[in-house]
This record gives sequence, structure tokens and C-alpha cells, in this order.
Amino acid sequence: MDQIRPAYITATGAFLPGDPVSSSDMEDVLGCVAGKPSALGRRALRWNGIETRHYALNPDGSTVHSNASLCASAVEQALEKASINKQSVSHLATATTQGDLIVPGHAAQVQAELDMGPLEIASFQSVCGSALMAAKSSWQAVRTGEANTSIAAASEFSSRWFRPGFFEGTPLVDEKGRVRLEAEFLRWTLSDGGGAIVVQDKPSTRDTSLRIDWIDIVSLAHQFDPCMWAGATPDNRHDLTQSWSFQGPSAAHQMGAIALLQDFTLLKTIIRAWVGAYLKKVDEGRIKPDAIDHLLLHYSAKSLREEIIRLLEDTGGMIDEARWFNNLARVGNTGSASIWVMLNELMETGRVSPGQTILAVVPESGRGLVGFMQMTAVSPQGEH
Amino acid sequence: MNIHTPISETQEERLQSVLRKLTVAWTEFEGRLEATPLIRKLNRGHLTLEDYRAFLINLRQQVVEGACWISRAASNISEDYFDLRSTLMQHAKTEHRDYRMLEDNYVEAGGRLEDIRGAKKNIGSEALSSWMYHQASKPDPFALIGAMWIIEGLGAQKASDWGRAVKAQLKLPESAVGFLLYHGEHDEDHMEEFQAMLAMMPLDDDLEERIVTAARVTGRLYALQIEEIDLA
Repeated sequence: MDQIRPAYITATGAFLPGDPVSSSDMEDVLGCVAGKPSALGRRALRWNGIETRHYALNPDGSTVHSNASLCASAVEQALEKASINKQSVSHLATATTQGDLIVPGHAAQVQAELDMGPLEIASFQSVCGSALMAAKSSWQAVRTGEANTSIAAASEFSSRWFRPGFFEGTPLVDEKGRVRLEAEFLRWTLSDGGGAIVVQDKPSTRDTSLRIDWIDIVSLAHQFDPCMWAGATPDNRHDLTQSWSFQGPSAAHQMGAIALLQDFTLLKTIIRAWVGAYLKKVDEGRIKPDAIDHLLLHYSAKSLREEIIRLLEDTGGMIDEARWFNNLARVGNTGSASIWVMLNELMETGRVSPGQTILAVVPESGRGLVGFMQMTAVSPQGEH
Repeated sequence: MNIHTPISETQEERLQSVLRKLTVAWTEFEGRLEATPLIRKLNRGHLTLEDYRAFLINLRQQVVEGACWISRAASNISEDYFDLRSTLMQHAKTEHRDYRMLEDNYVEAGGRLEDIRGAKKNIGSEALSSWMYHQASKPDPFALIGAMWIIEGLGAQKASDWGRAVKAQLKLPESAVGFLLYHGEHDEDHMEEFQAMLAMMPLDDDLEERIVTAARVTGRLYALQIEEIDLA
């Protein structure tokens, strides 16, 4: 088929493992670094505004999940909602920050976990923005006729990376047992979960579907050093010949090059760059703030909200706050899965009616990236 | 950037439109600046004392002109915009001694006064300065507010972080980084001040386009000035 055709999200799925974990119970699950409760944890929680989250780890460090199984569980839920059997899926695109294996890609593990195939797969590894990279792959596959049914799925098993062993015995912990802020903020921010969307060439016959209008991804990695990364020390992150694999795994761990880290000074600049990229879309007419009925913004820190809102109001870029939908405080920040976990909950509320427009905005501090996805709700079996 | 978006109906929408385009111009400039060799070195913790002194020398040749082109701009504002003329004159007065702070900082950082005073502008500073005077010499040079947006933005958004990073990396006393720290503290009312100045201008499509172009050109030339600093 040579013609471009519309593609629709016909179902969504989300999987959050276990019961919600309160802030006071977090270290019961993750463990205390150097045997002491965190000094910075409370500050990080005030900053990110998260109240409860889910972990796939048990307090003793055991688990029945893998990153791939979290992803597969979300896919299964989405397939069930769409009443699709696995055989009709011909394309699977996945996103994650850190897969279970270093090699091969996440999509292979998710496919195996789902026990479906043969089918085409695509693995996207980045940070939160990888969700939209996978979505774009699915959308392109369906709109070009390469596939009639594609799944885009994303998952994170972040808690593994926050166990004390990742930090202890490295310069990331000082002599008093305090973890450096670069590592501590993420330990108190990210949690586990999976999310998925089913993308098809026709709308659902039963439920409201979402036509994908466009997906734009803007990366500014040519201008910024890594801002959120794993695999290098803070001082060496710009010199890839010093990255973890050149040191060997044991030496890299001892240097503190394995943990997931965040540079907060650089983050301030990158946040401005995200706002700039958004306002440019507004200025070009790609995004029309008044025409958006539901905004899904994946933000990692509630405290940034007010500052950004003021800037958006001053510049005519503001989408009325009554139209923002967010579940971060309750379900936690599940990285690349977050946007689908949010979309899934929005669809379940029944607030989305045919003809309405949804804008998903997914910033990624990684090396300065922001993704935008606009969708229009359509009635069962046809265009609104 | 598309500067031909539909005409805004109200003054508020007009102001929002100008500030939106200026914010985009600023973030594009900031990204370009982050990728210059000097700022990369600073961000990576590799700045040397020689680099910092070179930074001060080059900044001084630009800053010494700042109050002069703002004054020239003020002198070309017609009587119809008297309040704007006053604002610009105030602005020039506030800043006209700033370059001396750079000289003091340079000496505190181990340099010789005659070296910073006698140094030539690099080609980026030449281009920037020539552009500013050219703009300031036009009748009612309102577009220059776009240039001020970029230069003042550096004070509001970057100076403090740079000052603190230089101080920490080179273990310098506060007296050697005063210019950067001072501007970080004093340029924070950025947005409100600009909204007020913009409100004094006869904003229309043409002026909006000229203001945004001035911001973009200034950002490009400022980044060139930073790129042209010889590093150790």
C-alpha cells in the first residue's frame, strides 16, 4: 500500500506492580544506603510532589517481575481491552531507560514474555522520551500500511537501580553515609510500571479511539552534555572514552559510574530549552493552546509547575490548568511508561468525548529532548 | 521561527506574542552558547585561570560600549516616547560603570590593568558592537529592545551560575567574580521590566518582526564573541 492513512489508538493499558508504597515506606523496599535513612529524601519528595508509587521489588530485594514482564502485563491489558488476539499484532515497538539485559534490546524480551510472533520489533532506549519514539514507530508502521495492528509499549524497573549496592563503596556516598544529590533525587523520584497503546488502521467498533494527528520529537543533544545518565561519573560524562565499559564493570562501579545520575544545574537550562521548544510549536501554529481539551504533561517536579505556568501565561502559551490531567502524585514517575499510564487513566475516567483534542508532552532531561503528540478522539467505528 | 503569525487583536495578545518569540530566541541563543568551547569548558569543570582572564578581557570590550549604545539609542527616541527615552537613559546610567567591575575582577584574578584596558575587540565583539551602534543610530530605534532582551537575559539567567562555577573551580575570592555575581543578583526583574518597556512602544507586525530579528542577530553575534575567545 503506497498511501498514507490515518492510524488510531484503539486501546490503552497500564500495569503498576503491587500496592501503592507511601513515602515513609520507600526505604523499607529500596533499602537504606550505608544502613542509614536518607537525609535528602524529604527534600526530594517536596520537590517532586510524589505521595505514593509502586515497586516491583519486595523488601528483601526479591521480585516476581522483570522490566520485560512489567511491559508485557501492560500490553496484555491493552490487547484484552481492544479484544485483539496476539496473532493479529504484526509490529511491536518498545521503550525503556534500562532493559533487563544490556544486549539485546527490550522489545525482544517483551515479545518473548508475551509469547507472540513472528512479528517485527523495534527497541527504543532513551529516557522518558523513548515512549514517543516507540509510538512514532507504531504510528508510521500503521499509517504507511506496513502493519495493520501495532503495539507501542514502555516500562521501567527503576527500583533495581536504587538498591544500596549501586551506591555503597563509591564516591557517590560520603564518609557520613550521605548519597550525593545527583543520585539521591532520582532514587526518591522514579518507580516501576508499564504502559501500552494499541495502534490500528481503523477506530475501535466499541470504544472511543484516538486518532494520532502528529508526533514531533525535538532533540538538542548537540548543545548539551548528558543531564541524566548512567555509565559515567559526573566529571567524565562528556568523554565517552572514559565511560563504564572502558573501565570494566568492577572499576566502573567503584568510580560511581554505574548509578543513574542527574545534573541539576544543567537541568535548569534544559527546562528553559523545553519551554522554548514548546513555545516555538505554539508560535508556528503547530500547537494551539486554546484548542487543547486535555493536556498530559509528564513533569518530574511539581515545584517547577508554578514557574513554568507564569512564563506560559506571559507568552500566550498557557493551556488552561483545568484541562491538565496528571496522576504523578499517586502513581509515581514511571519514566517512559508515565505518559501511557496517564493516558490510560484519562481514558478510563470517561472524560474524553469524540472531537476533543489531547496533547501529550514528554520532556526528557537525558541530553535535552522533548516530544509532543497530538491526538483527536473519534467515536466508535468512524471519524467524528 | 515563523514571525508572520496572525495579527493579534488586543495589546495583551500582542505583548504575549512578542514575549513568546523573544523567549524562543533566548532559548535558541542559550543552547548555542552552551555549545561554545568556553562555556563547555566551564560546564565541565575544566576552566583555567587563563581562560577566565581571557573571558574578562573579551567581555570588557563589549560591556564598555553597552551604556554608550543605549545612550545613543535614547538620544534617537522622539519626544512622543519620552517615558521610553527616560527608561533607556536610566538604564545607561545604571550600567555605564560596569566595565570597571570587569577591570577590577581582572586585576583580582592576577591580571594587569593595562592588559585588559589595551586589548582589542575580537571579531565577534566587533560585529556585535557595530550592529548595536547601527541599530541605535536609527530614528526611534525600538528594535534594540530585542538586543537588550538577549544581553539582559544573560544577567538574569546565566551570570550567577557562571560566577559561582568560576569561583568554585578556580578557588577565587568573590572580588574576582563580582561582575558575574552582581549581575545575577540584579537582573532578576527581567520579564516585568521588559513588559513595561514593550508597553511603551507602538507595537505592530512590523515592529514585532524587527524586535525579534534584533534579538536573534544579537544572540548570534554574542555567541560568536564567546566562540572567538582564545582558550588555554
